[in-house]
Amino acid sequence: MSALGKYSRSVSIIGVGCTPFMYTVDNPETDGLTEGEMFGYAALTAMEDAGVNPRDVDFYFHGQASPLNGSNYLTPNVQIANWFGMKGKGSIHHSEACCTGYLAIEQAVNAVASGKYNCVLTGAVEFGDSTPSPADNIETPKHPYKRDKMTMDKFLRTTSWLYDRTYTRSLMAGQELIYDDAAEWYVRTRGITAEQMNDTINWMCINNRRNASVNPLAIERKTYEELAKEQGMTLDEYMNSPFNPRMGDFLRAGGVELKCDGAAACIVCATEEIGRIAKNLKHKPIEVLAIGSAACEATTPHFEVRATEEAVRQAYEATGLTGDDLDLFYANDFIITSHLISAEIAGYLPYGEGWKYICEGRTAWDGDKPINTNGGRTSFGHAHAASGLADMYEACRQMWGECGEHQVKKLPKTTMLRGYGGAQNVAAVLIRTLDK
Amino acid sequence: MSIKLEKVVQKFYESLDEGKMMGRKCSACGNVEFPPVYACNKCGNYETEWYEISGKAKVHSIVLPAALSSKPEYKKLGKYAYGEVELEEGTRLNAVIRGISKKNRAELTAKLPVDCHASIFEREGGFKTVVFDLDE
Repeated sequence: MSALGKYSRSVSIIGVGCTPFMYTVDNPETDGLTEGEMFGYAALTAMEDAGVNPRDVDFYFHGQASPLNGSNYLTPNVQIANWFGMKGKGSIHHSEACCTGYLAIEQAVNAVASGKYNCVLTGAVEFGDSTPSPADNIETPKHPYKRDKMTMDKFLRTTSWLYDRTYTRSLMAGQELIYDDAAEWYVRTRGITAEQMNDTINWMCINNRRNASVNPLAIERKTYEELAKEQGMTLDEYMNSPFNPRMGDFLRAGGVELKCDGAAACIVCATEEIGRIAKNLKHKPIEVLAIGSAACEATTPHFEVRATEEAVRQAYEATGLTGDDLDLFYANDFIITSHLISAEIAGYLPYGEGWKYICEGRTAWDGDKPINTNGGRTSFGHAHAASGLADMYEACRQMWGECGEHQVKKLPKTTMLRGYGGAQNVAAVLIRTLDK
Repeated sequence: MSIKLEKVVQKFYESLDEGKMMGRKCSACGNVEFPPVYACNKCGNYETEWYEISGKAKVHSIVLPAALSSKPEYKKLGKYAYGEVELEEGTRLNAVIRGISKKNRAELTAKLPVDCHASIFEREGGFKTVVFDLDE
């Protein structure tokens, strides 16, 4: 059990950037995009959004879940700094798999709060849907820009790298419980039925897709209502049909991530230095109040629940805030049950009642308790390392009132982002818009 | 300095070949780490000592395998589930429990926790591991 200290100085997010999440290889307009182009776009748009020049940025953090497999790089940060005007600047690469983008904020905030740097870039890129060509193995020489689709078989083989080789893979349970453990835990501890959990999982998919349908950066924008209509089915019939097959003990296909390609970035600045550094500041700074973190290796029972409880506890104890103070919530829901259980653990939804909020549509972007307004991992898409920063992009834009067609009803002031991934890291990131 | 650079993982697997399931017991607080590691995760003591677990345990949760959560090799397990298992020594871990299927799942879930015991199971790849079997 760790207690968080107070940051040595206030740190704020002042600019964000994000590519569309996409299957680059499938579209001639995007086929051939490289790491420097993707990360560079996200980085430069974040700098423009913050009103800073690359020369104002002291250091950058680079996130990518699987650089050797996805990019044929060991030191991906070094290879691309010149794409966004930071040639010669210091940088570091980090990977916490699907939690990378959330801990990217942690890395950047710590670097600025310590006083070492005044302004840093933190970004991430992932090609979750393709690997450098030829995609035979990591040792063969690769083409400068051509990529091949990554088959699901290859993806699943490489995800085994997420789990402890000495015991967890051997014991066979930890890596398989990722799909349904949280659902089982919720059913047993809240006393709901398996049928009610099935409905809740379906409604999380429906709500995520409704959110994505009005987000131009999302990868899948056709609503489940439209899909059902095309098949001549009711929504309920469609969600429980072979079009949405059961893939786990509780989980259906619609509740699994859409792995894809994407990049996102943020500019993080010492609040006291914003006036000097960001001469073209466009928005109110968003202060990072606290970031709780915990990690449970997958042999730990209920690893997601346990780590989320600890990370959330840290963030609330450090700030004195509670779930009642949250206006907006994001959960990395590559297994969609995350969405329900983390929102309840954080107190954003009431204990034992969260599933009802979801089934009533109250957690969609236009509801009173919005979650994953960008569409989440099952509809916005999951470019693994970049997803957390894509969530931060969406959260900041909601807090600045810049989301247009899917702007939430009440301008959010305080938001939590619950990061999760890498079998399993968890982060609870608390942010709040500064008044001036 | 009594902390040893010791091959704990290799000894764990070699002990399974000999029919023994070995954990490590904390010399300060008595906590048992299973599978075995160097330090105690309960009190933080640097040292733990080899300890043969009794194998008696309880199942606290049940998740059945499905398309995403099974592999062809696992067919050798027969009917099984995944879940939280608590050893008699108090250690809790995620594990495979044999003897659970769609047929008896509801009955067992209503009775949780249910008794089980550890067994040694041979995996493809030339090594053995630990699974659990229902007592009844």
